Amino acid sequence: MAHPVLLTVRALAKSVPGPRSLFHALDLEVAAGEIVAITGESGVGKSTLLNILAGLDDADTGEVAIEGVVLGALGETARTRLRRERIGFVFQAFHILPYLTLRQNVALPLALVSADGAAAQAEAEAMLVAVGLGGRGEGYARDLSGGELQRVAIARALVHRPALILADEPTGNLDPETASRVLTLFANAARDRGAAAVMVTHSDATAAIADRVLTLTADGLVARAR
Amino acid sequence: MRAEPGLWSGRLALGWLIGGEWRFHPARFLVTALAIAVGVALGFAVHLVNGSALASFDSAVRGVNGSADLSVKATSRLGFDERLYPRVASATGVVDASPVVQLDARIGTARVTLLGLDILRAAAVTPTLIGVGTQAANGVGGDVFDEASVFLSRTALERIGARLGAVVTVEANGRAVPLRIAGTLPGVADGSAVAVIDIAAAQWKFDRIGRLDRLDVAVADRAAAEGALAKLLPGDAVVSSAQAQSSQGDALSRAYRVNLDMLALVALLTGGFLVYSAQSLSVVRRQRAFALLRTLGMPRGGVIAAVVAEGVAIGVIGSGLGLAAGYGLAWAAVQWLGGDLGAGYFRGAGAGVVFQPWAALGFFAIGLLAAIVGSAVPARLAARAAPAAALKNAGDVLDPRQRVAWWPAALLLLTGGVVSLLPPIAHLPVFGFVGMALLLAGGIAGVPWFARALLAPLAARAIGTVPRQLAIRHLHGAPGEAATALCGIVASTALMIAMATMVTSFRGAVDDWLGDVLSADLYMRTNAGASFDPATRATLAATPGVARLAFGRQLQLTIAPDRPAIALVARPTPDAGDRQLVLIARADALPAGVPPIWVSEPAERLYGWHPGAVIRLPIGGGTRFAVAGVWRDYARQGGAVLIDAAAYQRLTGDTGRDEASVTLEPGSDAAAVTQRLRARLSPALRDQVDITQPATLRRFALTLFDRSFAVTYLLEAIAILVGLAGVAATMSAQTLAREREFGMLRHLGLTRRQLGAMLATEGAIVGLTGALAGIGLGLVLSQVLIHVINPQSFNWTMATRVPVGTLVAVAAALTGAAAVTALLAGRRATSRSAVQSVREDW
Amino acid sequence: MRVSPFMAILAAASLTASAPAPYPVVKPGITLRFPRDHGAHPPFRTEWWYVTGWLRTADGADLGFQVTFFRTRPPVDPANPSRFAAGQVLFAHAALSDPRIGRLLHGERSARAGFGLAGASPADADVTIRDWRLRRSTDGHWATQVAARDFALALAFAPTQPPLPQGAGGYSRKGPEAGAASYYYSIPHLKVSGQVRRGAKSVAVTGEAWLDREWSSNYLQGEAQGWDWTGLNFDDGSALMAFRIRRKTGGTLWAGGSLRRADGTTVVLAPGDVAFRPQARWRSPVTGAVYPVAQELSVRLPDGVHRWPLTPLFAAQELDARRSGLPVYWEGAVRTTGGRGYLELTGYDRALKM
Repeated sequence: MAHPVLLTVRALAKSVPGPRSLFHALDLEVAAGEIVAITGESGVGKSTLLNILAGLDDADTGEVAIEGVVLGALGETARTRLRRERIGFVFQAFHILPYLTLRQNVALPLALVSADGAAAQAEAEAMLVAVGLGGRGEGYARDLSGGELQRVAIARALVHRPALILADEPTGNLDPETASRVLTLFANAARDRGAAAVMVTHSDATAAIADRVLTLTADGLVARAR
Repeated sequence: MRAEPGLWSGRLALGWLIGGEWRFHPARFLVTALAIAVGVALGFAVHLVNGSALASFDSAVRGVNGSADLSVKATSRLGFDERLYPRVASATGVVDASPVVQLDARIGTARVTLLGLDILRAAAVTPTLIGVGTQAANGVGGDVFDEASVFLSRTALERIGARLGAVVTVEANGRAVPLRIAGTLPGVADGSAVAVIDIAAAQWKFDRIGRLDRLDVAVADRAAAEGALAKLLPGDAVVSSAQAQSSQGDALSRAYRVNLDMLALVALLTGGFLVYSAQSLSVVRRQRAFALLRTLGMPRGGVIAAVVAEGVAIGVIGSGLGLAAGYGLAWAAVQWLGGDLGAGYFRGAGAGVVFQPWAALGFFAIGLLAAIVGSAVPARLAARAAPAAALKNAGDVLDPRQRVAWWPAALLLLTGGVVSLLPPIAHLPVFGFVGMALLLAGGIAGVPWFARALLAPLAARAIGTVPRQLAIRHLHGAPGEAATALCGIVASTALMIAMATMVTSFRGAVDDWLGDVLSADLYMRTNAGASFDPATRATLAATPGVARLAFGRQLQLTIAPDRPAIALVARPTPDAGDRQLVLIARADALPAGVPPIWVSEPAERLYGWHPGAVIRLPIGGGTRFAVAGVWRDYARQGGAVLIDAAAYQRLTGDTGRDEASVTLEPGSDAAAVTQRLRARLSPALRDQVDITQPATLRRFALTLFDRSFAVTYLLEAIAILVGLAGVAATMSAQTLAREREFGMLRHLGLTRRQLGAMLATEGAIVGLTGALAGIGLGLVLSQVLIHVINPQSFNWTMATRVPVGTLVAVAAALTGAAAVTALLAGRRATSRSAVQSVREDW
Repeated sequence: MRVSPFMAILAAASLTASAPAPYPVVKPGITLRFPRDHGAHPPFRTEWWYVTGWLRTADGADLGFQVTFFRTRPPVDPANPSRFAAGQVLFAHAALSDPRIGRLLHGERSARAGFGLAGASPADADVTIRDWRLRRSTDGHWATQVAARDFALALAFAPTQPPLPQGAGGYSRKGPEAGAASYYYSIPHLKVSGQVRRGAKSVAVTGEAWLDREWSSNYLQGEAQGWDWTGLNFDDGSALMAFRIRRKTGGTLWAGGSLRRADGTTVVLAPGDVAFRPQARWRSPVTGAVYPVAQELSVRLPDGVHRWPLTPLFAAQELDARRSGLPVYWEGAVRTTGGRGYLELTGYDRALKM
């Protein structure tokens, strides 16, 4: 594939207090438009890896580069800016703010960088249409089902056209049927926009949507046969 | 889009965040804003009322003084020799001098200051005291030298209710003189009841021949004049100025006013704590929202900015409301209580509230600051949390094993204790108040530790039902949360208890003292300057049924022109058995040949007149006295000295007496003797003498006392109401925040009733903890009030009396209120279905 | 004829006094005795020493000045033993007319007599109010010292002519009613020398002045609005005094005066012999009063009617002492053909209550 490499992880190691280290010597490359699923047992450090990729946590050694920018070289301000502009997030628990309208929730990443509310909300509305919730922008979180909430979250993760989308158990709170529909939507939306996606999950069904599935072990990421 | 991830670029998102919170929790914002409003309102109102009272006192002083550059004033109402006048008038630096006879007078029931003036001198020195006659087409009225004419200020005219041209009887110095109202004094400010007559008439008609009370001086060179006057003044006159006069009034009431200001600020402080409580809870509740935003790329400062911006909004709204309410309160207070809020400092000085823009700005800023600080502290804590962890964690990160630090509280308490012992600054107990603030902060900081310590024995044992256990374990595990809810109530309870203890001690001390002092059977006192001459005294002493009559003289004596005058009390030699003289210190040995004098406690503290000291008093041209003892006196804040009546008469030549205490023969009827005494007075004197029984005096004194503390009670009540509102708001917010916990517990099989019991128990424990902490802290603070603030402000000492009833009532009220609030909030929190509660994310 | 504005107070006082004091009545047929009559006459209700004149500085600038001391006896109860009893009250007024300033500088003093601070000697002229003084020394010279905020005068007056009794040997009628009269004499052509201080600067001056002395108990009648008065020193040594009292309803109620020629012969003027004709008026920007500051004085003498124009040194010589509760009048230095003097105009602001 001719797609450029978006995310590069080299020799990443992280330990937590206590005798056990989560992983060491972890390497990973993700290209634009590629969706990578990472599975693994509980406590192996999947979420920690995701936090390190997002610049919310620091690795002990090794480096993470997004579009060639090495995270470790950036200060908190620059990381925040990078996160704001180049990364989108999808969480297991949706995290849709109950006191904002759905459209405002989707527009939040835009509102963090621009005071142009009208433009932000217009883009958010377009994004809501893309996730099949067109016309629901004035509603609130309490009006929606879990699947719908996660679609809103996906819209929010993509609205600012990030290079990298990080998803932490995106279907964890959904029933299988809903999960499948939401995942398809997520994958298509990410691919359409040429974004790379790293998805942490322990569900095989969820992992199946990915282009590559890797298993996190103490020794690093191991590719799993399809 | 390359901008720094600053707050400014993210303002839209911040705006949504704050706006959303306001839309969904308007009541929370309103309650916190109200807390600030109450504090600002009280502070501003007290300040305005004080300002108005001082201004009216000032204008009353100026009204009587006519704003001369300088005045030479008699140290007592005995006046000084008029031959001083030409010497002062021709002193270096003096341009002109206006001689004045000044008397406290009565016209009907209205009290006025009667001034005898030389209009020609007054025109040059104090032009505001010049009368304008009814037929003054050509300038100065025609009655200016007429001995039967009087000119009245507007206020005097209103109080008397007479018309121009009417003849009124003016009573002063024991004389009653009919005078025709010839005109008004347009230069005298409203609020001053002043009557002006010709100086020669005043000396003649009111028995002041040869005496003057004041010389108003216009100066060309102030320094030279003050120097020259200091050299030529006799002992019974001092140089004074308008500033000194004002500071005299100021000094008398300053401590009282500062204390009121402090109380108002305490209410504001409580409001600040309330904001802190509310914002802490709100931040905790929104922790995941903040974490999400930070994950999405909001800078750390954004969280602080959002919460502080909320604080600013609360502060602006609260302070704005507070200023309006404060102005209204001040107006109402002045209308109903008078300019001195019932304390009696500015008697006769009418007051109107004047809006003070700078003070308004100041209180607005203080209110805003309280709201901002109350918000900034929790905001910083929230911003410090790691976003990833905060997003994952569902609720509070509790670890019941975590130790609660006790040393910050101990350090603060210790520092507070030490600081409060430092001496006063400019007669104000500044360090006392700083110490109280530190003690308060220390007490509040110690609440988590206190709660843990209180609950540890309960938590260790498995007692009671499951709900009780849950309640105790929750509080024991999260004492910080309880402390957050409690800090407002602990602060207000502590201050309220401190004030209540101080006032109870004070009132008890005054009551006891009155019992001692009012040991005679009847008291006689003249008004309007009348006096009992020797013949009258002999007649009265021979009244059947009277065993003993002790006549006394009381007059104001100016020691320093910028300090309130002290009371000079002349009575027959106070022997050891005199119950009216409650001695608290006694000189061991007195220097020979110097007359003894007994000073009151405030006089000792104000002037440093300790037992055994030899002091000089400005009577009889300045005489030396030896301080034989110190007596307790709660009546005269400015100080008093007691002198033997015979010595007094020898030194001053004053044979008049204006009060008497009557001891009855056993079996005599007080009412009958009162009748007989009255009958023996000359008809002229009869109207000018009050005969009172001690019970009446005592009741009157205690009524005065209660009235002067009425505002204190009111401020306390408001502080505690604010505190209760705070506990209600925080308890309910905390309860609502635990909705999911309740859902889970109901899944586990707890009934709604059991949940209610759990919450009520929790509430009661929180309330009781707050009450106990507040009472304990309050008792500590009361010691600062009684032993530091009171002696330093008012120069009165007293023993502590604990108002046990009040303490129990406060504890019960707090416990009950907290339990009921928790229960009510719990009902709301458990009303939704358990399934929904657990599923709910936020 | 110098009825002072200060009289307003005293006249009003007499109207309202509860027990009018018995004042001596002014009667014709007295002989003035000096120096006794230079001194105060305490039983009379009012009395004054009134000096006006022209001064010239070393650099040739003309100035006008006025120094006046009044004594009054308010109708207070003589039984009052107070040392402050207002049995005798003294006022003084001084003004300086400087054309370069263009308005009057003036100052006042007042006090009740007593305490060594103020008094008027009955033996010879010696009136003091604190630091202000006018006195006559035994050598016949007069001297005054007054100091106000803007100026101070220290002047000596040397008589060049004997006193000039006005009216009938010093008995001067003031109206149609026989009781309205005063004892009145003048000393014209007083030679002046001394110092004038304006601001901080003192200059030596010389000049010529006119002294009026008058005492009385009963003054004007109710119909009077005010008066015009002038006293003129002529270069040939003659002196002219003329006054008219104006009716409230317009016209002249009474008039009088005298002319003493250089040879000492005196012509006493009857009411019909004196006429004042306004030539120019000046409106005070401060009070709005309109004064006839330039007048033509016609006097019928045995040799026919003589006319003198009275031209002010400058127009704005109004004395506004309302600040000290006193009325407004015009008191100004005037020039005339072959002489100089003073013109006094009262009652132009409003009727003087007398």
